[in-house]
Amino acid sequence: MALLIENLNKKYDDILLYRDFNISFTEGIITCILGPSGCGKTTLLNIIGGIILPDSGNFSGFQEKTMSYIFQDPRLLKWKTVRGNIEFVMDRGMTDEERHKESDRLIKLVELKGFAGYYPSQLSGGMRQRVSIARAFACHSNIILMDEPLKGLDIALKQNMIRSFARIWKTDRRTVIFVTHDVDEAIMLGAEIMVMSRPPVSIVEHENIIELPEIRLPESDQFKNLKQKLIKALG
Amino acid sequence: MKISFTKKQYLGFASVLLMLVIWQLLAMYFNSDFIMPSPGKTFMTVIRLFTDPDFVSVVGMTVLRGLVGFFISAVLGLVLGIIAGISPGFNAFLNPFLVTVRSVPVIAIILLALIWFSPGSVPVFIALLTMFPFICTNVIDGIRSVDRDIIEMARFYRISRRRIVSEVYIPAIIPFIISGASSAMGIGWRAIIIGEVLSQPKYGIGTMMQAQQTYLNVDAVIAWTIIAVLISFGFEKIIRWSEHKIVVWKS
Repeated sequence: MALLIENLNKKYDDILLYRDFNISFTEGIITCILGPSGCGKTTLLNIIGGIILPDSGNFSGFQEKTMSYIFQDPRLLKWKTVRGNIEFVMDRGMTDEERHKESDRLIKLVELKGFAGYYPSQLSGGMRQRVSIARAFACHSNIILMDEPLKGLDIALKQNMIRSFARIWKTDRRTVIFVTHDVDEAIMLGAEIMVMSRPPVSIVEHENIIELPEIRLPESDQFKNLKQKLIKALG
Repeated sequence: MKISFTKKQYLGFASVLLMLVIWQLLAMYFNSDFIMPSPGKTFMTVIRLFTDPDFVSVVGMTVLRGLVGFFISAVLGLVLGIIAGISPGFNAFLNPFLVTVRSVPVIAIILLALIWFSPGSVPVFIALLTMFPFICTNVIDGIRSVDRDIIEMARFYRISRRRIVSEVYIPAIIPFIISGASSAMGIGWRAIIIGEVLSQPKYGIGTMMQAQQTYLNVDAVIAWTIIAVLISFGFEKIIRWSEHKIVVWKS
């Protein structure tokens, strides 16, 4: 079953962001929403996540879903260690031992082995964001929302984070809705890429990539062409 | 870093030495134990007080009153402060009360407390009323300083209200509680001793000071003052030490 939003209307600060907007997401894959800055991508994620309410709209498939959110900033608890932050969102029904084992697994997947006892103030920005990725997977959710978590990181760090994310996602294929304005990020991670226009938003381009993130070669002609196409659509 | 630390200690030591020199000079100028006993004589009096059979009861009762007052203020301040920090409505309701308590002169509270309470509990009541606003205000500020984004994150991850309080709000306000406790203690000890001077409980530093003042034993009055300062200093150290132990996450 697909996740469907129909006839979404939302005004924000007197700007009509969405007028009778429709979008659907395939479950179990990574969908990238690519759009210019200020087009209301974060608003869409927040509407999906229930943080803000739409003016009107029909939602189907979202009712019984639980969600995780990887925010633009890591939003870690500075008084909890890496492990503490990851275990913070875990199911209360788990025993301490189960939580410990699961956090170990996630810490290893995001390449933070040896840092379990570190506090956020002792980590770099990229490491903190990797903790927030691990946290999103630590919570039993059906959907993971991502709001440009790679913003402000340099290209090497970005690729490193995307590898981390792809590795962890491979072990646990949840529905991911990933919002970004960066074409490279979309190409590296998205199975489905939708390009949004400026408000009022419409979807101006729709692409699918079959290869899994970890075997993609961004240097190949196929991806170079795709990149050109997406950049053109972005305007 | 290490050098500047030693330098700081050295300057602190120099400052204490200067105070003692001024004291000694004043003592020599007045040349009367009834006005200004010398530091040496006062020091001997401190030693004598330490060996007094009632010393433990006197100091113990004052410290106990301080701790009871502090404990009640801390519990009240924490509970009311957390609620006021989270709910703007309750804060609007509580604020006039806090402002009033803070602006009423301590002496007025003491005079009223003398009518209302037994001598032993007057200082506790004074301590409570002087310390509570500091702790409560700090807790409110602490709660307000909690990042809204962090709360949004915790809510998004369906963390229960109880856990948001115990694992987000409380750790976030600990540095504020500690600084509130430090100011509260600083002012609290002084208030307790004033309370003891006026209410005259059986044991208490203030009771002793008042008694010694009546007999013009200036050296004993100063000696008890020194003991009160040492108690205050000791608790300040304990608070700083616990801050260091609890707030390990601050780099």
